[in-house]
Amino acid sequence: MILYPAIDIRGGCAVRLTQGDYDRETVYDADPVDAATRWSAEGAQYLHVVDLDGAKQGQPRNLPAIARIADSVPCPIQVGGGLRNSRAVREVLDAGAERVVIGTAALRDPEFLAAMLQAHGDQVVVSVDARNGRVALEGWTEATGRDVADTVTELSERGVVRFLCTEIDVDGTMDGPALEELARIGAAAHSSQIIASGGVGNLSDLRHLADLTQAHNNLEGAIVGRALYEHRFTVSEAISALA
Amino acid sequence: MTARIAILDYGMGNLRSVEKALEHVGATATITSDAGEARAADGVILPGVGAFPRAMERVRELGLDELIGERREAGVPILGICLGLQLLFDSTTELGGAAGLGLLPGGVDRLDAEGLKVPHIGWSPVRWEQDSALTDGIATETPFYFVHSFAPRPEPGDLLGSAAYGARFACAAQRDNVFGVQFHPEKSSAAGLRLLANFAGVCAKAPATA
Repeated sequence: MILYPAIDIRGGCAVRLTQGDYDRETVYDADPVDAATRWSAEGAQYLHVVDLDGAKQGQPRNLPAIARIADSVPCPIQVGGGLRNSRAVREVLDAGAERVVIGTAALRDPEFLAAMLQAHGDQVVVSVDARNGRVALEGWTEATGRDVADTVTELSERGVVRFLCTEIDVDGTMDGPALEELARIGAAAHSSQIIASGGVGNLSDLRHLADLTQAHNNLEGAIVGRALYEHRFTVSEAISALA
Repeated sequence: MTARIAILDYGMGNLRSVEKALEHVGATATITSDAGEARAADGVILPGVGAFPRAMERVRELGLDELIGERREAGVPILGICLGLQLLFDSTTELGGAAGLGLLPGGVDRLDAEGLKVPHIGWSPVRWEQDSALTDGIATETPFYFVHSFAPRPEPGDLLGSAAYGARFACAAQRDNVFGVQFHPEKSSAAGLRLLANFAGVCAKAPATA
């Protein structure tokens, strides 16, 4: 599995939220490029960058910071947050992102998703965020009744090749990933790839994720945020644990 | 001595990450489309993303084909990256075909991915097929980052590295002072930076340019 160190940008800073709550924010780096260069210098093979202001406002809000990260690190980056139209997607790709992570808009607007898959194919990651097995939208402030596994199956049949699956209740808690949910989603995604997000707090969490790949070889990566910022382990230790 | 490296800008691809990576390894990098400026450098990098035929048109419009040929003759190290590597070869079959720079014998063909999705995007281990100053200190089967649909078919003696995506394909080539890599060293973490540092080292040792 590939390790994706996470860099969430809010107000120009690298922050972490707890369970997606904008009122429970911890600021870790005044400049997100510092976090990006730190993770990449430790050997990160990919970075996951989220424009939290963009996610909330529905359009990219931190493009200069995204471009500076893309220019500064010797690894590809994927970027999400507020990508709800083709122009926003284009701007993020032009800023140097290798992949775009589309959330709410992909689930709400099938025509937009189809157009993005047509134009950008494998560069499109669809983010499916869930709480108790149900999909949540709008920067996680809105719940829907749709089952996350059914949603992933339906979207993979529409051509989505990679999903980012976040379990909101464990995100930012470091209490461990939602392994059973990930297994259920992995089975539902057919051959599409799954990047797991939420809850990683120690190296054995990562080993448990890696163990899941024996049954679900489409689990291709893990997002790690707070645990790296809080030095629970290093990037290279995490990469070894996921190998 | 610090190597001065010219990154040739013909309007295709994001060159800043290549520039930043070179600076990171202690080289002096200049993005330029000016032949005179490129002539003053100890080494030349030909980057690029996009389609081969259009890229060759741009290279010719800017006179960079002549510059690259001249630098090769002068013994100046040249490194092609991704599409830049492909342009070093004789020709491609992409979009009906086009002639390349012809610095490396052989053609460029669509990946034989045996049912896998093309383009090939992602990290793949690279096997070194021979020793080279370019790959010094980088273990064989180290992963590098790829984004491509085509790959070259170098002569066996020029084959420097290969990777598997469906079938095995050539992903690094060298003939004398001409080097090329299909992957993106500027996006390939520590191993990619080492490769760029090695290239800068080759440039620093190369004969002074005239």
